[in-house]
Amino acid sequence: MKALCWNGVKDLRVETVPDPTILNSRDAIIKVSMSSVCGSDLHLYNGFVPSMREGDIIGHEFMGEVVETGKDVRKLKKGDRVVVVSVIGCGECHYCSSGSWSLCDNSNPHAIMQEKAYNYSTAGIFGYSHLFGGYAGSHAQYIRVPFADNGAFVVPEEVPDEKAVFISDAMPTGYMAAEMGNIKPGDVVAVWGAGGVGQMAIQTAYLMGAEKVIAIDSFDYRLQAAAKFSKAETLDYTSTDILDALKEATGGRGPDVCIDAVGMEARTTGIEQIYDKAKQKLRLESDRPAVLRQAIMACRKGGTISVVGVYAGLIDKFPMGVMMNKGLTMRGGQMHGQHYVQMLIDLILQDKIDPSFLLTHPMPLEAGPEAYGMFNDKTDNCMRAVFLPNM
Amino acid sequence: MAIIYPDMYRNTGKDHTGMMTDPQVINVNTPERIFSVIAGTFLIYSGIKSLVGHPVAAASKLVAGSVLFARGASGHCPIYERTGTDGVRPQNINIKQYFTVNKPREEVYQFWRKLENLPLFMRHLESVTQTDEKHSHWKAKFGSYLPSVSWDAQIVKERENEFIGWSALEGSVIENAGKVEFKDAPGGRGTEVQVVFSYHAPVGGIATGIAKLFNPVAENIIREDVRNFKQYIEAGEVPTTTGQPSGRK
Repeated sequence: MKALCWNGVKDLRVETVPDPTILNSRDAIIKVSMSSVCGSDLHLYNGFVPSMREGDIIGHEFMGEVVETGKDVRKLKKGDRVVVVSVIGCGECHYCSSGSWSLCDNSNPHAIMQEKAYNYSTAGIFGYSHLFGGYAGSHAQYIRVPFADNGAFVVPEEVPDEKAVFISDAMPTGYMAAEMGNIKPGDVVAVWGAGGVGQMAIQTAYLMGAEKVIAIDSFDYRLQAAAKFSKAETLDYTSTDILDALKEATGGRGPDVCIDAVGMEARTTGIEQIYDKAKQKLRLESDRPAVLRQAIMACRKGGTISVVGVYAGLIDKFPMGVMMNKGLTMRGGQMHGQHYVQMLIDLILQDKIDPSFLLTHPMPLEAGPEAYGMFNDKTDNCMRAVFLPNM
Repeated sequence: MAIIYPDMYRNTGKDHTGMMTDPQVINVNTPERIFSVIAGTFLIYSGIKSLVGHPVAAASKLVAGSVLFARGASGHCPIYERTGTDGVRPQNINIKQYFTVNKPREEVYQFWRKLENLPLFMRHLESVTQTDEKHSHWKAKFGSYLPSVSWDAQIVKERENEFIGWSALEGSVIENAGKVEFKDAPGGRGTEVQVVFSYHAPVGGIATGIAKLFNPVAENIIREDVRNFKQYIEAGEVPTTTGQPSGRK
């Protein structure tokens, strides 16, 4: 089959590789119909996530058709049209049983590696480095899905592919971002990053009763999409003093909930950007936390910071004094997709959320390297490129 | 002038400040010394050959070669000295591991007590055969190029649903002993399992060198095998990516 493989920093190649096979009895093989790029893939693309190996197949947001099932697969059958959650959960450990699927005890074959880095191991993720299990990703014609009954969900006919594919990652991540913010009616929510996850967080925040959501980004087309599709107010951090503008928008109180949908490659302006870039280049800090710092500064006293942008390692100049004295609550995490899928399907069926505007660039898998270049450089107004590997 | 050491520092090669004063203390084992001499000789030879064409590379080869050669010839390694490594006596393996299994204590205990279950998830065990209530025969393979090893073990103490202690019979190739304990986790969180495992490496001759190379690998193998117990009893399988496609040739 054809697959998009990581070979080094900004070096992706479409290769012919063997087809996946069933390796464990709860596996299924999925013929991929759609596989989306995700902002978090850019951290792999730009070389900021450790433990990538040449030849790794990347991609984790996908859907397709079940073509083979292992002998212990009970719910799925050949021919099912399914969307697959990007994190892998065994379904039996304490974490999966209590809905915290991305903290699964048993789905990471390289648990020993993650224990060395994080002291505990978390769930495996498709195509997201060996630290997260080294599973082959979805930018391929076929993919093996472990614990398939847990992670693959049959999509109702009424939900078309261009909506369903985002139930894999962008929608549950945005949903969980808003949920961790514990939004109450009347709250003002600020969302940093108006990409796929940020847009979904904005829409969910409104569903949860937010009075007003403010999107912060620097790309005009993304801010326009946030205003048009997600009904957010928008701020461009390159031309606005964000702390001041957020006070102005909230009668001086500050946003009740601040969502970081950017993560470790945050950009900002001026000396702070130069400082973090230099430290990251020299490997003195692995992640650039400009958004996180600004969110902590901007948040109202007693407010909540919700972090779904991906961080991998260490950050520098963390404003702990601000966080502590302002009495902030901070939560973060990879999304527990399996916990949200059924509800998200219902929200789509009820027309309360429509993520299809994210799919700006349907592309063949062969265009993988160009698609990532475009997505990384934010050219051609790209929200998300989605591969159709079997077209 | 000969240095006179007080008794307590004799044979350590160190003075009272802990500083190395006697370069003759042997802290490199024999196989490693032979390797050092050969590698050192090769580097010196290669350094001399490239002196004209690549003087910088040649200089570093000569320095590294001389250090290696001296280390092999004298049996003393200054780096081992600084890092506190003793290459002569291999470390025994002592592993303690704790984890919580999301299952009732009786079930977890029974699964472990049926020793024949262990090769289902401990990948380096080929088989365990219970010969009677207390005795069992174990067969393991620690690498595709190494021959299988087997030994006999007995359960030396046990209390149903609480603990199992075992020990290899005297004269076993793999001299090991261990204990696994089971406790109720609080608030219905399942069973807390604590595994203690110790393995005494053979000492002397070539076995010392092999054990020294092998032990860090063995420790990871044993830790992984113990982890696999939780994965297998909870999820019904050990997660793997072995055999999946990649672009690696």
